[in-house]
Amino acid sequence: MTVLEAADVHKRFGGVVALAGANLELAAGEVHVLIGANGCGKSTLCKIITGSVFADRGTIRLDGRAMRFRTPSEAARAGVGVFYQELSLIPQLTVAENLFLRRPPRSRAGLVDRRRLRREASRALERFAGAIGDIGPDHLVADLSADQRQVVEILKVLVDEPRVILFDEPTAALDNRQVEVFFDLVDALRREGRSIIFISHRMDEVFRIGDRVTVFRNGESVATMHIADTDKDEVVEKMLGTRIEAVERRRDAPKAADVAMRAEAIGGTHFDDVSFDLRRGEILGLGGLHGQGQSSLLRALFGADNAFSGSVAVGGEVYRPRGPRDAIRAGVAYVSGDRGRDGVFPVRPVFENFVAALLTRRRRARLDRRALSAEVGAVGDRLKLRAASLDALISELSGGNQQKVVIGRWLVNEPRILLLDDPTKGIDLNTKSDLYRILDELCMEGVSVVFYSSEERELLANADRIAVFNGGRVVDLLEGERVSELNLYRAAFAAEGH
Amino acid sequence: MSAARERTRSGPRWYRHSLVLTLAIIVVLFAAGETLSPGFAAPGQVIYLLVTASLLGFVAAGQNLVILGGREGIDLSVGGMISLGALIAGNVMDASNAAILPALLATLAGTFALGAVNGLGVTFLRIPPLVMTLGMYGVIQGLLIVITRGVPSGRAAPMLSAFVNEPLVLGIPGILFAWAAFAAFVIWMLRSTAFGLRIYAIGANENAAALSGVAIRRTRVLLFALSGMCAGLTGFLVLGFSGNVFIGVGDQYMLPSIIAVVIGGTSLAGGIGGHHGTVAGAIVLVLLQSILTTLNIDPSGRAMIFGGTLLLLMFFYGRQQRLRV
Amino acid sequence: MTGDGQSQARPRFEFRRNTWILAAGFLALLCAVNYFLQDNFFEPGVMVSNLTTFTPLILIAIGQTYVILASDIDLSVGAIVSLVNVVTVSIMHHLGGDALAVAAGIGAGVATGLAAGAANGLCVAALRFQPIITTFATGTVFAGLALWILPDAGTVQAPEPVWRTYSASFVGVPFVIWSLGVVALGCWLYSRSRPYLTLMAVGGNIRAAFGSGLPVMRTRIAGYVICGLFCSLGALALTGETATGDPLIGIAFTLSSISAVVLGGTALSGGVGGVLGSVLGAILLGLISNVIFFAGTPFEYQNLIQGVIVLVALAGGVFVSRGGAR
Ligand SMILES: Nc1ncnc2c1ncn2[C@@H]1O[C@H](COP(=O)(O)OP(=O)(O)O)[C@@H](O)[C@H]1O
Ligand SMILES: [Mg+2]
Repeated sequence: MTVLEAADVHKRFGGVVALAGANLELAAGEVHVLIGANGCGKSTLCKIITGSVFADRGTIRLDGRAMRFRTPSEAARAGVGVFYQELSLIPQLTVAENLFLRRPPRSRAGLVDRRRLRREASRALERFAGAIGDIGPDHLVADLSADQRQVVEILKVLVDEPRVILFDEPTAALDNRQVEVFFDLVDALRREGRSIIFISHRMDEVFRIGDRVTVFRNGESVATMHIADTDKDEVVEKMLGTRIEAVERRRDAPKAADVAMRAEAIGGTHFDDVSFDLRRGEILGLGGLHGQGQSSLLRALFGADNAFSGSVAVGGEVYRPRGPRDAIRAGVAYVSGDRGRDGVFPVRPVFENFVAALLTRRRRARLDRRALSAEVGAVGDRLKLRAASLDALISELSGGNQQKVVIGRWLVNEPRILLLDDPTKGIDLNTKSDLYRILDELCMEGVSVVFYSSEERELLANADRIAVFNGGRVVDLLEGERVSELNLYRAAFAAEGH
Repeated sequence: MSAARERTRSGPRWYRHSLVLTLAIIVVLFAAGETLSPGFAAPGQVIYLLVTASLLGFVAAGQNLVILGGREGIDLSVGGMISLGALIAGNVMDASNAAILPALLATLAGTFALGAVNGLGVTFLRIPPLVMTLGMYGVIQGLLIVITRGVPSGRAAPMLSAFVNEPLVLGIPGILFAWAAFAAFVIWMLRSTAFGLRIYAIGANENAAALSGVAIRRTRVLLFALSGMCAGLTGFLVLGFSGNVFIGVGDQYMLPSIIAVVIGGTSLAGGIGGHHGTVAGAIVLVLLQSILTTLNIDPSGRAMIFGGTLLLLMFFYGRQQRLRV
Repeated sequence: MTGDGQSQARPRFEFRRNTWILAAGFLALLCAVNYFLQDNFFEPGVMVSNLTTFTPLILIAIGQTYVILASDIDLSVGAIVSLVNVVTVSIMHHLGGDALAVAAGIGAGVATGLAAGAANGLCVAALRFQPIITTFATGTVFAGLALWILPDAGTVQAPEPVWRTYSASFVGVPFVIWSLGVVALGCWLYSRSRPYLTLMAVGGNIRAAFGSGLPVMRTRIAGYVICGLFCSLGALALTGETATGDPLIGIAFTLSSISAVVLGGTALSGGVGGVLGSVLGAILLGLISNVIFFAGTPFEYQNLIQGVIVLVALAGGVFVSRGGAR
């Protein structure tokens, strides 16, 4: 029996198409997995179902009746609960208050019964006892770590005892033990007959807990399959559309002689004792599981975080940036995959988004718009940027094109060293292959690249060497023949003490 | 040429529309004024109105910069800064033409420094601009009393008064030429200098700006300092306008300076807008007030109509994003 | 250790949830200084008289607090106070000044405050207007209304029973203290209610609150309505004290109420702080001028010193309130 159904849902944000014909059927008492690359619209669909995003087109049916929740509170009252990927906790309030935000226990006088609030919160937290450290009902959410917050958000959803639960990447920051507890909870919920949508990028989890899986690609649902009838390869193939081919290498691996950047035993907030030689014209990949210090290293190298310990030399000279400005002037560039936070100036024209860093490199007060436009236009063409004009607002572009502009911002600067921090997060395949091509060209021109990606395949296809991170340290450096998926996994998962 | 102009026109589409809307409102207001009270749009009257608007325009320019810089930028101390500027100017020149330039420099330097203090508090102590500039307003109030000992002093030099009040060429007083040049400079600065782009960058996404190498703190301190200086300049001109100083002379400009910016299409969230809108906004405000005065509506009615009109304008410009997108 | 053991224990004291503490410390210091300068400072008569003077600002600052906790702001409080004052006094005057007229005046005043707050709330929360400019605009309208109802100050007086009651004592306790007691009880009850939790959540993170299924719009409107209510109470206190109708009586309260709130450790960004801090902040603002006066500061320096102290204290308030948000 179908509990929840989404049919032909469409949604655009400015120039970004988030959903273009999404369908989903959730049966009673099943765990239904949604899977798809970043940015393919999974979260948007969840939000449309619960009324915090409104659809341009399409219908949502609950128990066969067409529903259009106008607010999440209507959805909650109808028994639909949601775990938000970006969480919905109030940092200034305590754990207990957050858990019972919507319906705090009340005394006979109608006031919030704080004793019972704390007691019930403690009881809820006990479900994760031993797996979330020493947190109690009175802790402020602001003080919790990322995994603890996720646990609180999970419990917050369950407090309402919804019939239909949407879990949008609830396990992203959880460790193995927490995931086990969570899966036990999900099993119990399923046994109680509740229906669950579960979004995750971890393939093993999908096959461990799911009953059925629906695959999303570029805002469309492309297939729904029973978990028992499929395997990982098929799911991945559906996600990507085609099997990705390794880009054709047009260059040889660079010679060891020419070192563009040398790091010796550097340490920082989430990494320690990292050493490497970055050769001229090479792509040095950073591998390993997500969040093992790769991003922190890149940010520190760009001067965006606290200073690092140890020593770095760029082109033979001591390199110790006190801020991005120093890095930029030393010919270092940094592209973040989190373009909303670190990349775009959302309400500004493409032109301004392009030249932001150029202004730092060339210290000139007056802008020659015409000359700059020509320069920027050339880079745009090289990136195959598709924008109505340089005066179009960047938010009118698609996500991939926005990211091209952010990358272009650094290309106009003609950097010697390019630091890429998961730059293809949430962008489409075409944009990705354009980026790979550009990287190849840049390397031939002598630019050196440090490339972190959360997708192993991307690293394997592009990097000359891969430094594998684990717990903030480089545990293996894959070179030549050793650059392989097997070795990458082996090093990434080695002695996982986390 | 036209192609180049086409390309350099920047800003969001709705913003361009709102500029057209504002211009339309100006025309309508003049027409309405003329209909209601013949002679309202007579040249002399128009010039007088524009002079009044120019005084507001100078402060609003500084306010404009602070607001564009984002992070809830706003400057509530401009009222005090204007009074202080007028006071410094009046005392330094004391009716002497020869002392006009020193007076101007002293005024600008003093208000620039106080504005920089605002900026330092906002960036380094991370005090919200609303609180910091409100506190600064209180301090300036105290400062004014200390300087004057409760007895306002200082008079405008005749040349300054003439510059503001009397025709220079074509029947137009010098101040209007100064305003035009000043506004053109600000517009140019915002659009065609690195500094201008940095202002938009920190207003639109401070994080991304920092990663692009923009000196966030230095830029923001400078914005507040410039706002103080613009207010000081206004004070200098207000002195010329009225001949002498009274302590609260600047207070009446504080909120209008913000409103001129907002109805000119600049978003209080920062990063969106420009200066031509603010110029138009200043004119709209002054026109509106003047029409209400002309109609012989008593102060209470004027206040109500003025407030109501603002609310109406909010409908077009000041709406915040929906929670449900 | 997340078990029952902890839930039985007393709740931990969390500094970031008690941001009034800095204001309290500052207040204690100021009281000591004040006592040093003014021997009779702690005598009941003097204390009550001080408190009576501070009461209007205390009440108005409480109202402002609720709006700010929801991360909005109300620049119209001064105008609402003026409006309520002239409405109350005019109605009392025109109905003849007997008990019934007094009741009608008070009722009309409170209704005016509530209506003004509701208008603000609708514009800001329902129509999504920017709060600063909007409340400035509505404030202009309210101020205009006040002027229209009563163009000149001092032409209409409040009837005798009003100011007699206001300065009277019941069971040996002054009326002002009774009133503040009732207000304190009301605020305490409200702070334990579900709507208050929602208000804090909306102020803390409006998107998360919306996503959590809380009635965001209704809550913001409620903040403004409560503010309107407290403005009307403040205006009634002011009327009791001055016994006159004045269309400009409230002007100064807009900025001083915001100062009091920030001094008390409530964050302008919302979700952190509370009314206790604002009450202390309001008293602080009053005592600062007391101290400066009794210290024999030359008159022309009084405002400057007050301005600097307030600025420093505001910075302090911001500093404390930042802890919770980070
Ligand atoms: N509020 C929003 N404004 C603009 N773009 C958005 C918004 N929410 C999502 N998007 C865009 O819509 C696309 C789909 O996003 P999302 O649903 O979060 O994908 P997923 O959850 O599958 O990673 C992305 O390109 C994202 O940038
Ligand atoms: Mg998502």
